[in-house]
Amino acid sequence: MVEVLLQPLNIFLFGLGGSFLIPLLYRIAKPLPLVVFVLALAGIAVISAGLLLALHQGEPAFESLTAGSGPPYSINLRVGRFEAACAFSVNVVALLAATHLWERLRQNYAALLLFLLLIMGVNGMVMTRDLFNLFVFLEIVSIATYGLFGFDGTPQALTAGFKYILATVLASAFFLLGTALLYHVTGTLNIDAMIAQRAQIAGPIGTTALLLVLSCLIIELKPFPANGWGLDVYTSASSGIAALVSCVVSAGVFFALFKLLALFEDNLTLIAISGGATFLFSNLAGLRQTNVQRMLGYSSIAQMGLLTLALALMRQFGADAAMPLVVGGLFVNHLLAKAGLFFLAGAVNRRHVDGWSAIAGRPLILLIFAILLVAIAGLPPFPGFWSKWELVMRVATAGQYAWIAVILVGSLFEVAYMFRWFKQATRAAPEKASVDVPPGRLIPAGLCALLLCVCGYGAATLSGAASLWLFAPLGAGAFLCLLDWLPGRLKSSLMLILVVLLGVWIVSPVEGISRLFAVLLLSGALVVASASLYRADRRPGYYPLMTLLLLSIAALLRTRTSLEFFFSWEMITLSSYFLIAQARNAHPYALPFLLFSIASAFCLLFGFAMAAAANGTIDLAAFGAAGTDAWPAFLMLAAGFLIKAGAVGVHIWLPGAYSEADDDLSAMLSAVVSKVAIFGLFSVTYLAIRSEIGLDMAHVMGWIGLLTTFFGAAMALQQADMKRMLAYSSMSQLGYIVTAIALMSHLGWVTALYLVANHLMVKGILFLAAAGVILRTGTRLLDENGGLVRNMPFTFAAVATALISMSGLPPLAGFGGKWLLLSAMVEKGWYWLAAVAVLATFAGFLYMFRLAYAVFLGERKAAFSAIREAPVALIVPQYLLVIAILALSFFPKLFMEPVSAAIDPAFASTLVWDGMSLETIYGYWNPIPVMAITVVIAALLFFVVWLRYIYGYRRTPTTGVAVFYAFYQPRLSHLLRPVATAFWRGVSDLTLSAGGSIQKIYTGNGQTDSLYVLWYVIAIWAIGTLSR
Amino acid sequence: MELPVSQILLVTGFFLILIGIWGVLAHRNILRIIIGFSLLDTGIHIVMVATGYVTGGTAPIIDAALEKANAAASAVDPIPSALVVTAIVIGFSVTAIMLAFARRLYDAKKTLDIGAFTEEKW
Repeated sequence: MVEVLLQPLNIFLFGLGGSFLIPLLYRIAKPLPLVVFVLALAGIAVISAGLLLALHQGEPAFESLTAGSGPPYSINLRVGRFEAACAFSVNVVALLAATHLWERLRQNYAALLLFLLLIMGVNGMVMTRDLFNLFVFLEIVSIATYGLFGFDGTPQALTAGFKYILATVLASAFFLLGTALLYHVTGTLNIDAMIAQRAQIAGPIGTTALLLVLSCLIIELKPFPANGWGLDVYTSASSGIAALVSCVVSAGVFFALFKLLALFEDNLTLIAISGGATFLFSNLAGLRQTNVQRMLGYSSIAQMGLLTLALALMRQFGADAAMPLVVGGLFVNHLLAKAGLFFLAGAVNRRHVDGWSAIAGRPLILLIFAILLVAIAGLPPFPGFWSKWELVMRVATAGQYAWIAVILVGSLFEVAYMFRWFKQATRAAPEKASVDVPPGRLIPAGLCALLLCVCGYGAATLSGAASLWLFAPLGAGAFLCLLDWLPGRLKSSLMLILVVLLGVWIVSPVEGISRLFAVLLLSGALVVASASLYRADRRPGYYPLMTLLLLSIAALLRTRTSLEFFFSWEMITLSSYFLIAQARNAHPYALPFLLFSIASAFCLLFGFAMAAAANGTIDLAAFGAAGTDAWPAFLMLAAGFLIKAGAVGVHIWLPGAYSEADDDLSAMLSAVVSKVAIFGLFSVTYLAIRSEIGLDMAHVMGWIGLLTTFFGAAMALQQADMKRMLAYSSMSQLGYIVTAIALMSHLGWVTALYLVANHLMVKGILFLAAAGVILRTGTRLLDENGGLVRNMPFTFAAVATALISMSGLPPLAGFGGKWLLLSAMVEKGWYWLAAVAVLATFAGFLYMFRLAYAVFLGERKAAFSAIREAPVALIVPQYLLVIAILALSFFPKLFMEPVSAAIDPAFASTLVWDGMSLETIYGYWNPIPVMAITVVIAALLFFVVWLRYIYGYRRTPTTGVAVFYAFYQPRLSHLLRPVATAFWRGVSDLTLSAGGSIQKIYTGNGQTDSLYVLWYVIAIWAIGTLSR
Repeated sequence: MELPVSQILLVTGFFLILIGIWGVLAHRNILRIIIGFSLLDTGIHIVMVATGYVTGGTAPIIDAALEKANAAASAVDPIPSALVVTAIVIGFSVTAIMLAFARRLYDAKKTLDIGAFTEEKW
């Protein structure tokens, strides 16, 4: 029984039989067609599922013969694994689309019929092995699509439908002509026979015939620029129909191209160029779109271009084994994500991107929306991510780096416009949300999102990276997401427990420098994260994302391959983006944050790909053995990490994101998350130095680091907002660390790690203190605060400790750090750099003093007289960090020895280390007596200053300091023209205007579209013939 | 030297295809555009039939007049003709749909000028 049902032909029985029955039954009773429709559609889906299952269990491919004879005398169908997988995924999306369109479909039996025929036609295109039969199925699909356009009823939909008809009829006419000529040349219509007789297809007729068939298939995939007709349909058709055209119909055509690819072996480059150009230019043009469906249209077209590109390249490289992961992954990713987005667009029903602020504050819609966007952008953990990775690796192995650039730039554009759309959704105040989506309408999109998660894990398994610890952060995040209805403090405690348990488990096997980072970052993260207990509100989404962020950091430290590294890296990026985007005023800054982060990630991807091509493996350990020809890889990697570290010039994403994020999140970002970039830089240079390459780049990096420090400090001095000041300060301090790493010496790296620890504690304290101040006074502006020392003595003491430590004043840790850094630079002979370091330190003093002065000293505003100390939940983490600073200051060996031990073994073999050993250096510098004395003196001085303030100057207006800053600020601001901001704004404007001019080729005239189609066919014919 | 039938047919067919394309691209009236498509279709059909023609061949019916052994050499290839029949049916339905669209477009704007239907662009 099951065998009888499990026949590919039954799909057509269901399709055609259902279509015949629907109008008949309509005469009998109105609801009957609906029953038949559901049964037939479900039947088609079930059969394809059964076929896939049977094939998965090892059955041979299903062959269906017709008309009582075998090929080539009759049409035959074949369902192998690819066919079954494609048909099944298409049928699932068809079911979802039918659910989405249900209200519309049930009103008209003809629509039911056409829908069913369309799905059957696509199944036919996937399964048939006969070229003419392929044409017939293509026409069945086309005619059904035309009919469905007609049911939308609006004049725009009709117009767009007519343009679509003009273009596709023209294309299919060429297909028909090509098919007839191919038959003339080969004497068969059977695709397998044609492939076997590929050599016969030569000469002018054969070549022309082949190119005609090829151009029809490419045209049906809507290549740039001959795709205006497709865009118009995406814009004006109803969301469900647009999803069908974008996903289901394109899937059929794409599979036809895949099936016939063996015929087009000579034209693979042509196909790749067509696909690559479509991907790049469609995404560029999409940047300017504000109509949701048209934007999705640009994205659909681009994604089909990417698929075509991947298909051609994989075949060209002979990487057919990677086809399921690369092409299959991209295919499923686009199918589900794009269909889901169209469904969601239909459910939310806001045509314009701006209107999407209506979904702000709807957690379920936002969750689905975010999943679909992340998937379509090719970010983890969804299938597109794994496919893109594999694709880029393969392309790099083949040495065709230009394609990587095309793929990455196009993807960046896509991220830009997709997340600009998301930005709108986070813009409105939640209480203003006005859209009312019944939960039932969300089912199709929600299921797409769910399926994407499943497929993501599947693709990870295919690429061999699916391991429990790598996915544990996601699991923990999802678990907390389910508990998101709990009160905030409970969730915060749950988060801390999860991070402790899972985090320790994840990093348990880590060794060496990674272990140091693991201890440092994980404990620092826990302390800072515990501050979130100070907020009692529910903060929907915050705790799951924070868990994901912290555990991803842990996972990053454990990674052994560049794929795992890149995965965790992207997870960190995404979770921090979504966390930042939650803050009410962060929406203008979240997008630049994401774009720079993704650009950084793509630099890493490029670098990893080049390294993998050079090393022959994605193992990170192989970097240590890389030869000197791997320097471009290190250049790209260093660039990626420097972007993420906020180096000067590419820092413009940093201040806004840090200052507008939630107050406790800012502490986390600056104290912990920023160290991830440092860790990356560390591992890469660490490995670079072991292979003795990239040492020349070190000096450049040293300058970048110190310039970052200097300009960061100078800009911090300009700020009136304390969080912005701290953000620039963070940038400035990271500059020191970069320089220390660039020293490429043992001393330099010990210093770097020392500075990392110091900065983690200092910035944790300062941002948490700022959180307390903002909570109590309600303002972030320095000048509006003042004189809080008596109200918030504990906060002040913590801030004072942190500032002393950060500024490099004795006796605290910062002094040791500066001391080490300067001696390392002098030892290396970088005197100019040492001079800049001193200058930057001076600028640092100025803004740090201003912070302490403006907020805590100075004159107290009358309104602040009743202010209390910050909540205990904020004070406790600060004091834990203060204790850590004191420990680091007075017992540096506690820290230095493990650091030194972690670095030593690697260095001993390759690095020339002819200076003093670390032990000797510490022999010179025994901090305990010196520090003890300075502490006593500093405490006495502080006490004196305090007493004088309390009893002497309390009533006199202390304007002196304010006047000092007011005098210097305008002078410094001349030095600090916003060159970087202007530059990046220029880049963005230029890109947008390029996108705008590309859009202008779509005049909206159906004849122009047809003309483009004709030119495209002629171009393919000319290039294909000439390149022969 | 007499021109074979198939050559004449081929030339006619391609000529019709060109006329059809010209009609689609040059005329602004939607009905004329549809006629252009019909011509294009017809041209392709004629070309298809012509490719199957065997000079001096007979109908591909195996009976007393045509032996099985030399059927391939002396009979006209029936497959292109069979394909054309299908293609005609498809062409007919596409034309019908286009006409239906044309009617409804006219209802919407009271004009058949294709230049009037350019709301969606960029």
